[in-house]
Amino acid sequence: MSFRHIWAVTRKELNHIIRDRSTLILVLLTPTALLLLMAYALTADLKNVPIAVLDYDRSALSRSFVSQITAGGDLELYAQVDTFDELEDLLMHGKVKAALVIDPAFSSDLMALRGLPLQIIIDGTEPESGGFAVDHIAWRAEEFVNRALEDQIQAMGSMTSLQPIDLRVRTWYNPSLKPRVDLIPGLISMVLGFPALSVALTLAHEREHGTLEQLMATPIGRAELLLGKMIPYVLVGLVNVIVIPILAMIWFKIPFNGNPILFFFLSAIFLFAILSMGILIGVFMKTQAAALALSFLLIFFPGFFLTGIFFPIASMPEIMRLEALGLPGTHYAIITRGVFLTAIGLDVLWPYAVMLVLLGFAFTGVAALFFRKKLG
Amino acid sequence: MTAIIETQGLTRLYKDNRAVDGLDLDIQSGELFGLVGPDGAGKTTTLRLLAGLLFISEGSATVAEFDLASQSEAIKPNIGYMAQQFSLYAELSVLENLLFFADIYDVKKDKLQERVDRLLTFAGLTEFKDRRAAHLSGGMQKKLALSCTLIHQPPLLLLDEPTTGVDPVSRREFWNILTELHMEGTTIIVSTPYMDEADRCSRVGLMYEGKLVICDTPKNIRAQLKGDLIEVFPDDWQAAHQLAQTLPGVLEVQTYGETLHLFVDDGAKQLKAIEKSFNKNGISISSIRAAPTRMEEAFISLIRRLEDETSAK
Repeated sequence: MSFRHIWAVTRKELNHIIRDRSTLILVLLTPTALLLLMAYALTADLKNVPIAVLDYDRSALSRSFVSQITAGGDLELYAQVDTFDELEDLLMHGKVKAALVIDPAFSSDLMALRGLPLQIIIDGTEPESGGFAVDHIAWRAEEFVNRALEDQIQAMGSMTSLQPIDLRVRTWYNPSLKPRVDLIPGLISMVLGFPALSVALTLAHEREHGTLEQLMATPIGRAELLLGKMIPYVLVGLVNVIVIPILAMIWFKIPFNGNPILFFFLSAIFLFAILSMGILIGVFMKTQAAALALSFLLIFFPGFFLTGIFFPIASMPEIMRLEALGLPGTHYAIITRGVFLTAIGLDVLWPYAVMLVLLGFAFTGVAALFFRKKLG
Repeated sequence: MTAIIETQGLTRLYKDNRAVDGLDLDIQSGELFGLVGPDGAGKTTTLRLLAGLLFISEGSATVAEFDLASQSEAIKPNIGYMAQQFSLYAELSVLENLLFFADIYDVKKDKLQERVDRLLTFAGLTEFKDRRAAHLSGGMQKKLALSCTLIHQPPLLLLDEPTTGVDPVSRREFWNILTELHMEGTTIIVSTPYMDEADRCSRVGLMYEGKLVICDTPKNIRAQLKGDLIEVFPDDWQAAHQLAQTLPGVLEVQTYGETLHLFVDDGAKQLKAIEKSFNKNGISISSIRAAPTRMEEAFISLIRRLEDETSAK
């Protein structure tokens, strides 16, 4: 292993990244762009979901109920209709995502504490908005009933010990339960792996341009070449390890509770692991197009679905849980969340760091083993 | 003289196609060896095999005293290989490309400056040393590629069609460099589609369908051609071509644009007779003359003969 050889490749690759503007933009700005895009697309709070109301009761209570559910801007009263046909028409044309039908017995049942006869119809083709409307209406309805109950209890005086249920849920580490706080560290772990794509392309790029043939005719070692190619992307990746958390803290107001130096150090290990995966793909794929396709298949889609960012790993079938263990992103997502939100240290995170190191060496080892200095 | 390359039955298969088929080569140290043959004859595959870039299917070979099959990595510091297509780093400058290969070939630091300066002068690239390789002309790119393969002063150079697609002036300059290297004692194996280049080699190997069909000095190869050459410049090319094929004593007719090359059994005797026949048949010719045969005619004649043999089978 000659450091002179490795440094020659690294220097050449850095020059390539810096001078080829498209590569520079790809490796430096894509993680930021991806984070912004995904953060907004995936965690956008639903607002102003249009609903229609068909009120058969037409009482003061039902009107008060309608004004309460549409207060606050979560649901928007698109239309108050008189017939079921009108309501269906609005749903069919997608003008409203949900419809609320208030039973003629609404106020009498409420006064008699027999419950709240309501019907909610949602547009099943857009379950996100529909579900949101159902949750929102149900929550308001509960509140409405509770208040009616309280009024009645007060009217009865202290003769009764009836109390409305008071359940208080407290969420630790993410007290306001904003979806972004939980999701963004996960997304960060995903976008920081992006240089893996570039490194997967670099071998194929040399193959396509004939420079690899020239290199194969030189005494350069296989591991020297692969390491020399990975180092520049680790360096560029580390720039993003600094930029992205700062962006998240300023733009998304995400707390950074842990140790930044620990995060930087663990991120470097993660970059080594994920870039090893990229170089492994590069060894096997002969063209850039194929390397790109396989990177998406092996790095990005699993990064999305298997690393536990969106779907808990514990609820996966066993085979997928094993696959998740082999993905650097799985371990890094835990590290990122841990450092950002819970401020845990190496005492808790060391097994994940060890896994990343092992994965990195395994991927690089296999890559060096299968990379031959032969054309065919 | 010692052999720097020795191959016995060297063969490379691509599926069932024998790209190189039972090659027996014996190249001495200090030779300037030309590898010629039509496209697809196996020249590139041969050079790639010798550079250790391909697995050997059959046979064996020794390059620079190392076994090609088992010690291909040991061969690499001793050779300079230049691929057919442009294969330098386009984003790097001339100087950076040279320094990159200097590092890869472990050129001693104290010799580096002198070596680089010499190569830049040698290739006429001194004033372009900070220019990116992508912005060099085709001829300069080839000279830079050659310089990169020379940075470690290898005793053996393998050059795959280094002058293809290069303008005539650059081609001449390139060959002047090769001649200089040859004089200094470097062994050079160069494949080329140009017969005038083959003429400048000390020995030429002609490949056809993966086989080495002839391997000799240019002089001896030219001597293989039967008959003497008569060059005819007719006014009506088509009529002259038809007639020439029917004339007695004419062994072979080759065409070069509007010129006819006739190979006849006895040049001195036939020149007058052929001129007379043209006149008798009312075909005017602006000039007719005896000419020395070149590699080009010898090559075409040999390839034709081989093609006839192949189709006869």
